[in-house]
Order: sequence, then C-alpha cells, then structure tokens
Amino acid sequence: MADLSLRHVSKRFGQLDVIRDLSLEIPSGEFAVFLGPSGCGKSTLLRMIAGLEGLGGGEIHLGGARIDTIAPGDRGVAMVFQHYALYPHMTVRQNMEFGLRNIATPQPEIDRKIADAAEMLEIGELLERKPAQLSGGQRQRVAIGRAIVKQPRAFLFDEPLSNLDAALRSRTRIELARLHHRVQSTMIFVTHDQVEAMTMANRIVVMNQGRIEQVGTPMEIYQRPRTRFVAGFIGAPAMNFLPVAAIREEAGRVVVTLPDGSTVTTAVPTTALRPGAALTLGVRAEHINPGAGTPARVEVIERLGERTLVYANLADGSTIVYDEPGDVVLAVGATVHLAIDGAATHLFDAEGMAVHG
Amino acid sequence: MAEVGSGIGQSRWTNALFVAPYMLILFGLLIVPLCLGIWLAFQDYDMLGGWAGGVGLENFQNLLDDRIFRGTVRNTIKFVLMTTPAFVVLGLFLALALNNALRRSGILRTIFFGSSVLSVTIVTLVWRLVYLPDRGLLANALGLLGLPGVDLVTSQVWALPAIAIVTVWWIIGLPMTLFLAGLQQIPPELYEAAALDNAGRWRTLTGITLPSIRRTIVVVAVIEVILQFQLFGQALLITGGGPDNTTRPMVQFIYEAGFRDLQLGFAAAASQVLFALMLIAALAQFWAGRRQGA
Amino acid sequence: MRTWQRGRSLGDRLLLAAVVALAVVWLAPIIWVVGLSFKPNEVLMHSTGGILTPPFTLKNYVDILAASSVFGWMLNSTIVAFGQTILTLLIASLAGYGFARTNFPGRNALFVLVLAALAVPEQAIIVPLHTMFAAADLHNTYTALIVPRLAFPFGVLLMTQYFRAIPPEIEEAALLDRASRLKVFFRIVLPLSIPAQATLGIYTFLHAWNDYFWPLVSATKPAMYTLTVGLASMQTNFAQTEGIGFLMAQAVFAGLPVLILYLFFQRHIVSAVAGGPLK
Repeated sequence: MADLSLRHVSKRFGQLDVIRDLSLEIPSGEFAVFLGPSGCGKSTLLRMIAGLEGLGGGEIHLGGARIDTIAPGDRGVAMVFQHYALYPHMTVRQNMEFGLRNIATPQPEIDRKIADAAEMLEIGELLERKPAQLSGGQRQRVAIGRAIVKQPRAFLFDEPLSNLDAALRSRTRIELARLHHRVQSTMIFVTHDQVEAMTMANRIVVMNQGRIEQVGTPMEIYQRPRTRFVAGFIGAPAMNFLPVAAIREEAGRVVVTLPDGSTVTTAVPTTALRPGAALTLGVRAEHINPGAGTPARVEVIERLGERTLVYANLADGSTIVYDEPGDVVLAVGATVHLAIDGAATHLFDAEGMAVHG
Repeated sequence: MAEVGSGIGQSRWTNALFVAPYMLILFGLLIVPLCLGIWLAFQDYDMLGGWAGGVGLENFQNLLDDRIFRGTVRNTIKFVLMTTPAFVVLGLFLALALNNALRRSGILRTIFFGSSVLSVTIVTLVWRLVYLPDRGLLANALGLLGLPGVDLVTSQVWALPAIAIVTVWWIIGLPMTLFLAGLQQIPPELYEAAALDNAGRWRTLTGITLPSIRRTIVVVAVIEVILQFQLFGQALLITGGGPDNTTRPMVQFIYEAGFRDLQLGFAAAASQVLFALMLIAALAQFWAGRRQGA
Repeated sequence: MRTWQRGRSLGDRLLLAAVVALAVVWLAPIIWVVGLSFKPNEVLMHSTGGILTPPFTLKNYVDILAASSVFGWMLNSTIVAFGQTILTLLIASLAGYGFARTNFPGRNALFVLVLAALAVPEQAIIVPLHTMFAAADLHNTYTALIVPRLAFPFGVLLMTQYFRAIPPEIEEAALLDRASRLKVFFRIVLPLSIPAQATLGIYTFLHAWNDYFWPLVSATKPAMYTLTVGLASMQTNFAQTEGIGFLMAQAVFAGLPVLILYLFFQRHIVSAVAGGPLK
C-alpha cells in the first residue's frame, strides 16, 4: 500500500517551473531517496511534503489522508534539516521536548520518549547541553532525536549529511540505515550525492529540472538507466557517451559503428529501434576491457588505489575512460587497445531515452 | 499566482497584524503630520489669529523676503560645510589609527565615542564653561601659552566655528564607528597581498584601504550632512543665535516662528525648505559618490 | 620581513602618540569640569586653574539636591526613557519580524514606506505634530513625551535586519513541532534576538534620555520637564554667573547616569551605530 502519494504536484517560483506535474507513490516503511543535481527541485518537493512550501497544484496524501491542505505541524511528519536547525537557546532535552509539549504530551511520556531516543542515539550525556556545546556529529544526532520522539508517519531528511566530514558521513550513513531498520517508518532523504543514495535507499527517485527521470531500486537505476541523464548522473566515473556513426543488424541485435571505425554488438534488439533516429552509445568504464580492440592513446592516469582510471583518446579524438587494476604499469602517451563489452552497453535516442529490448 | 496549500512563505492577511501596531503609529505620528505640515505651509495659520485660509506660496515668498531667514539658511549651510569635512577626515583618521587589533585601542575608542552619549544640554553646559572668556579652560590654556583669552561666543567671526568645534567634539564617535565597521569589512588577504607586493604604508592606504571603504565615506558624508542641517540645541544654548544672528540656524528659526511667535503656516513652510535642502544635499552627494565610482 | 615589521611599528608609534594626544584634548573639558565641580564657588570666582589643589567641597552637589525640581525631572526622564524603550522594543520586534519573516498583501510597499520614513527629519513634522497634540490636549503628559518617538523607523529596520539573519530553518523546525506563528515568535525568535533587543534598548534609552527638541516644545510646565530640558532652563544667562562650580556639578550630575550606562553597555551602543540601518 502506498503510504505517501504525490498526485500531479506542481510548483512555480515566478516564471520558473520548479516542479512540473509530478506524481509518485512511496510504499509504507520505505527508505526513498530523492536524488538529483542542485536546482532539480528535490528540496522543494521535500519542503512541499513538510508544508514549508505551498503547492502550485496537485495533492499530497500521507497514510490515506490528504495533508497538503493542513498546517505543517499537523501532517505527522518530522524533518531533519541540512543545518540541523536546533533551537540554540534550548538544551538538547528542551529541543526534543518542544514539539511534544506543543501537543500537550504528559510529562512521564515525554521523559520516556526522550530516554528511549537518547539511548538509541547514544546522546544520553548530552541532554543538558546547549547546541553550541556540541560537535557537528552530535548536533546531527540530536536533530534526528528530535524527529524520532515525535514518532512521525514519515521522516524527511534534507541533505543532513552535507555538513559532516567524509569519515563521519559514511558512519552516519550506516547508522541511518540501521535506524530505518529499527523504526520501520517511511523515510524520505534528499541528496545530490549518489553514494548516499546508492547505499541507503530502498528506492531512488532521480530528479532533473522538476521532473522525475526514473524511480527504481539502486541496482535497477545503475544497471538499467531509463534516460541518458540518469546514466550520466549515477556511477563514478560518469558513463562514456559515444556518438553512433552507423548501425546494422546481426542476429536480431543492433551492431553500431563508432566514429573511430570500431564496431560494437549491443544486446538491444533491432525491433526496439525507430528508423532514422540518431543514437548515442553509453558504456561504463568497467565494461571496457584493455588488451585487444580499437587503439587509443593514454592521456591522463588517475590512481584511486584499488583501481586506476585511464582517460584515453580514440582515433577520432573523442575521450573515453576505462579502468585498470590498481597496480597497472602504464604511462601517458602509451597506446592501448580497448574492447567494449557490447552486452553491457546502453543505447540512447536523440531525446535521451534509453532504447531497451 | 494563487497558491493552494499552506506553505509558510504564503501571503496571509493575519501576518499583517505583526506590523499593524507600528504602521498605525507611523501613519498617525509621522505620515499624517508630514502631510499636514506640507498643507500648513500653504496656509495662513497662526495660533492667535486662527486659520485664515490658503495663501498659496505667500509663506515661501515671505521666507525669501525675510532677512533673518536668509541668514539662517546661510549659517546652516556654512555650518554643514565646516563640520561635514571635519567629521569625515577626523573620523577616518581616528578609525584608521584605532583599527588595529594589536593595539590596545579599546580605551581610546571609549573616549572618542563617549562624548556622544551626553545630551546636548550637558555638552553645551561644559563648553560654555570651557569658552568662558576669563576663567574658561580655553582661556587657561591660552594663558599658559602667554596668549590673551578670547571670547569666541560673542565674536561674529568665531561664534559659528566655536559651535562647530563643540559639535565635532560631541559626536565624532558616529563617523569613527561607521568607518571602523567599514575597515573591518576589508578582507585581511588584501593587505597580505599588498605586503607581498611590497606596497608601502601610503600605497596600501591609497591603493587598498580608501577604495575599499569608498561606499562608507559616501554614507558618512550623507549622514553627517543630514544631521548637521538639523543644528539646533548647540546654537540655541551656546549663543542663542547671536551675535547679530550669525549663528542662528534654520531649526532655531522654525522653533521661534512656530513655538514662540506661533505662526504655524510660516514655520511649516520653513520646515519644508529645510527638508528640501537636506534631501537635495543628500541626493547630490549620493550622485557624486556614484559617479566617482563609475 | 623583520625590517618591514620594525618600520611599521615606528609609524604606528607616531600615529598612536598623535591619537593619544588627541584623546587628552577630548577628555580635557570633562576632567576639568569634574575637577572644578568639587571646588567652592568663591575660589572659582578668581581662578579656575589648578584642579588638584585644595580646597575641595561637596557643597555644589548638596545645592543640586536641594534644588527640589531636579529629582522630579530625573524621574520624568526615567519614566519617559523606560516607557519609550519598552514600547519601542515591543513594537519594533513585532514589525521587524512581520517584515523579515512573514508575507502579507502589500508587505513590500509598506516596507518601502518604512525605509522612506528614515529620510524624514523631526523638524519636518514637529510643528503639525505639536498642533495635533495640542488639539488632543495631550501636552505636558507622559504620553506626549513618549509616543511620537515610536514613529521613527530605526528600530523596525534594525530588528528586520536582525530577524532576516536568523536561519529560517529554525522557525520551520518549530512549525513542524506544531508551534503556532505567535508561539514561534515568542518562544523561538524573541529569545534568539536578545542581543539585538539589548542593542536597540540601550540605543533607544539614550536617545529618549537625551532628546531635546520635542520635550522642549511639548513639556512646557516645569513639573513635566525632562532632565535635559530642565537643565537647559537653568543655564540661561550665566556669563556673569557667580556659581560656575554649581553649573559644573549640574553637568556632572546629569551626565553621570548616561556615562555609567555607556561604560556598561558600550558594546551594544556601538553595534547599534555600526551595524544599524544607517549603514
């Protein structure tokens, strides 16, 4: 059953369409991540769910009830903000109490909820401190604690990890995943970081220019991108895109010729093609195998430790990135031969839509 | 575009209640009097004779013909021309000298700003004593140098400069503080870059500091012009406008016309002239400041 | 590097000497007046040199306390200054929050009006204002002394500026915590604005205490004088006075409260000037 449902939601800021006729269903208990570049509308969408932004059109339902017409505090959602937004003049305990007192929760219940949350988040010793006396990671926990005590139907996270350093960020990712497992509430997490999306989400909603590009599990998004935008946004290094010079058929599959003259046999059936469309071939670095194949000249070598990224120029001058083992011996200017694993490639039409079988 | 839903940025009538108390006061006690004042300026209205109808520009014509009023305009402009450059130059000098964290300049700032918290009554009281021709501090100081005491306050030449000195002494803290705030906005990297470029003290001042606070200089000059056009208490309490009206400022003229002679229309007209002069002077400076920057 | 630093410190030292000399000039009138206020008038008749040499006396101060009206004026000033300060804080905070953080029809137009009001000097409205208060028969009341100053927009603009700098996220968090708009204002925003309240409060208090023109024309009965107006009324015609020690003691007596206030709250007063909307 869908817990959160967005129906034809739209929003304009002046002349700018921030959200365009967007519909989405998120099942109960899911960890959904809104992923997209800055300005794609993901934070606005989250704030619309919270009630911090009005809707230009459409409806939002949560747990079967329409919520876009009621006040933010009555929607049964809790939000963890990018900069945490702790009340600076209140202690940690008062921060967590504030929302509970506003709905006249009896004191013993408040104390019990705070004690539970403090234990879960290991912030018991911090309860009497003010936010200014906490580290970034501690503030983060308090902000989450303030959300947990309200026992909301849905948690909303607005890029909450972006202010943490790299080590703390990866630790917090794991803790959030663990937290989701424990509380089993619907969680919506906004980020522009694909690693956060891939590691935490049950379901990723990739957004671009106010629209949803694709909704799917992390591996669906990675392996079967529905659009060229998704293909390019997910995965590091970014997918290689090569223009297709010519196509022919071989055993029902599309075989493409690249500008440097090499050919690649894809897994795409010719029946999926519309005639006359200009095509682009997409291939990830790990699906290009050095050894035999089309010649290329090494331009840049990026060593990442466990693997090495090699940027090489093909005969027609286009650049392609592929990966080698971490300890590969290679020099700039060397010539390598590259073979593209055709079965793992993607074809995109002129509109940027993937051509699938 | 109309919005459904309940975003907090949404426009609501009830939110206007936050500003309602102030807006009522603003309308009732500033905007209404301002409009009333402009209307009054075109009326023949005095407290004793009552309202005798509109008179067009007659009040302004009378002002133009009034030798004393023309004198007050002259005195006021002279005073503005004396004090504004002094405030800008001295304020900037003090700010530059005190803008150094290494120096323990806190106490100096306290001294230079401190006099501005005193009321005009106290300031004039102190300075009338300082200016006493026989026993004043100034006379004592001149005596130490073997010079005879002078009576500045009754001198047609020196009375206005004497008031200007009092005024600079009184509120130098304001321009100094504004300049200090401006100086603190300059990124330290600029000075570090200048030092690496072997810029000397003077080059650093003219090449980095002054251009960086150009806007502050304009703002200070405009504020000072506006403030000094309002000269009143110092003149009223030190010289009473004398000798021979050489220190009588426009505001004192308004005060006397409106509250001593009770010629309300006439006083209102004089107020409008003052308001107009202040606006023109301020706008001219903004314009000059902008042109220089272009 | 070393020569550069040494050169700098020499120049600095010269500059410092100049500023210290100037500071002495600045302080001289005050020290002189304070010193002489403790000397008998008979001595000052002949000479005002040597502020450190006896005889000393407290008679000048005793005389002030004996002049009964001074206490009444001080009380008036206190009532007016506190009244104006409290009302300004309340009204300016509400309006500043309204302009900074809420939206309502006509908000921008009203805000432009408030900004424009900054350009209106007291002198442009004082004659009609006086007429209006006369018509309402309000002169020589505390109302007349307190209320007109509330119209000046400095405080509203200062608070607007301050509230705009508070992260909106904090208020949004409170709204999600089911706080009403009014509760957000009183429980979250006002406590966070205490530094600005202190700044505006001290600034308003000093201005009210020192105000001269309006109290001069509105409070015409000596019993309603503020200290500023009252002292001015006592100091006419003193070129020939025999009691300059008494005058000096008056200056000290009236100036001391604000100077003490200044020394305690210097930071707030300066920040009102430096960070205020005048900038």
